[in-house]
Amino acid sequence: MLKKRLIFTLLYNRGQFILSRNFRLQNVGDLEWLQINYNFSHISYSIDELIVLDVTRGERNTEAFYGTLKILTEGCFVPIAAGGGVRAIEHARALLRSGADKVVVNTPLYKNKGFISELASEFGQQCVVASMDIKCAADGSYQAWTENGSRSMVGSATEWIEMVANNAVGEIYLNSIDRDGTGQGYDLKLLDQLPPGMTKPVILAGGAGNAFHLAEGLADPRADAVATAHLFNFVGDGLKRARQSLIAGGVDLPVWDIQLLEQHLRSDDAASLS
Amino acid sequence: MSYSITVIDYGMGNIWSVLSALRYLGCNPIVSSTPSEIARAESLVLPGVGSFRKAMGTLRQTGLDQAILHAVQTDGKKILGICLGMQLMASRGSEDGDTPGLGLIPTSVDKFSPQEIGANKIPHIGFNLVRSKPDARLFRGLPEAADFYFVHSYRMLPESLSGKTATCMYGAEFLAAYERDNVYATQFHPEKSQTNGLLLLKNFLAQ
Repeated sequence: MLKKRLIFTLLYNRGQFILSRNFRLQNVGDLEWLQINYNFSHISYSIDELIVLDVTRGERNTEAFYGTLKILTEGCFVPIAAGGGVRAIEHARALLRSGADKVVVNTPLYKNKGFISELASEFGQQCVVASMDIKCAADGSYQAWTENGSRSMVGSATEWIEMVANNAVGEIYLNSIDRDGTGQGYDLKLLDQLPPGMTKPVILAGGAGNAFHLAEGLADPRADAVATAHLFNFVGDGLKRARQSLIAGGVDLPVWDIQLLEQHLRSDDAASLS
Repeated sequence: MSYSITVIDYGMGNIWSVLSALRYLGCNPIVSSTPSEIARAESLVLPGVGSFRKAMGTLRQTGLDQAILHAVQTDGKKILGICLGMQLMASRGSEDGDTPGLGLIPTSVDKFSPQEIGANKIPHIGFNLVRSKPDARLFRGLPEAADFYFVHSYRMLPESLSGKTATCMYGAEFLAAYERDNVYATQFHPEKSQTNGLLLLKNFLAQ
């Protein structure tokens, strides 16, 4: 039985990790800040997956992003997805060579389906994470938005999700623009927008503020994973505590024993000393 | 403790995370993409993500297939195949058309069939429970059932394999890990499976 997943999303903007609220960006701190406040090599044992997105508006310094990705992923033994402005196979390859296992794409899903197929044939479709930004209109209908949430697509969110899911993508990251960074909890109605007979795994994102919200998302059978990108709500050992409370509450997350490996490595050292 | 290990780089998927995990365990892994380096290796890791057909094509073109077979079958070097690397060890695979594999594991690799997986989604992505045999060398020190990270659409079936080591349920049972003599393989990614995977890699190194 497949376990549910708890995903942490890091948003990167010109060397800074940021907080996004309804897609407005606010700098929080650089890599050093992140290491101090999250003790990343430790916190990575509390998540099932890491997503790192370069959300820089305008010109990106891709080399600097690859470098940051390498540092972040060293000592992080979970699947890692990375993206932001990926428009060329070589860009994707560079991410995969910097520690990523999967590549996250957004705008090309709508504008350049050929590129999605190209990515899938080069790296396999399990490697392609389709990130979709969804927003609820005043009349309660849902639409897909592109280009950092600046343009809405004609048609319903459901139509677009179906179209994207039928392309060569491995999973779908559904992000609520309305809840993004608010900490008010997920918009579970996003899951109502899924087309019937959805066959690709779905990650629910946007709005988680505490462990209860994560549990709420994971309790819905239509969500395979939940993600949080909020740098403050889970600061320090927040993710660790959230994970513990989820597992204690019966959520079927994977388990591992950190002590087990440490014991083995220690007994090894002892053996080589004697 | 330091182990000499060579990671085969044939351009398929992420070798960075495999290297990172091996380094964490105290290795200084060598990355190799030529038959002559494989011939000098002490032990091998064959990683990989992507298409079976394309990967076998690359291995054949570069002569790495013969180098691997010679190292494993003639020189008796141990090898660990991970994900696509495990699949390539099979006799044949049906991804993108029927293709012969390395033939180190006497079975075929086929797509999960709708009948076997039922309502489950393809690809099989995420952590799933792996049940290992008590005497499995790769799983020494791990609980009999432990979570590992998978991402794949093709699988081997455990039937009639004498080296069957560990299985996983995804609608139906499939082969999660294999070990026989000096041939080791995991369908899951130990380098992506937290301490469970690190311990498994350590067990392979210690063999």
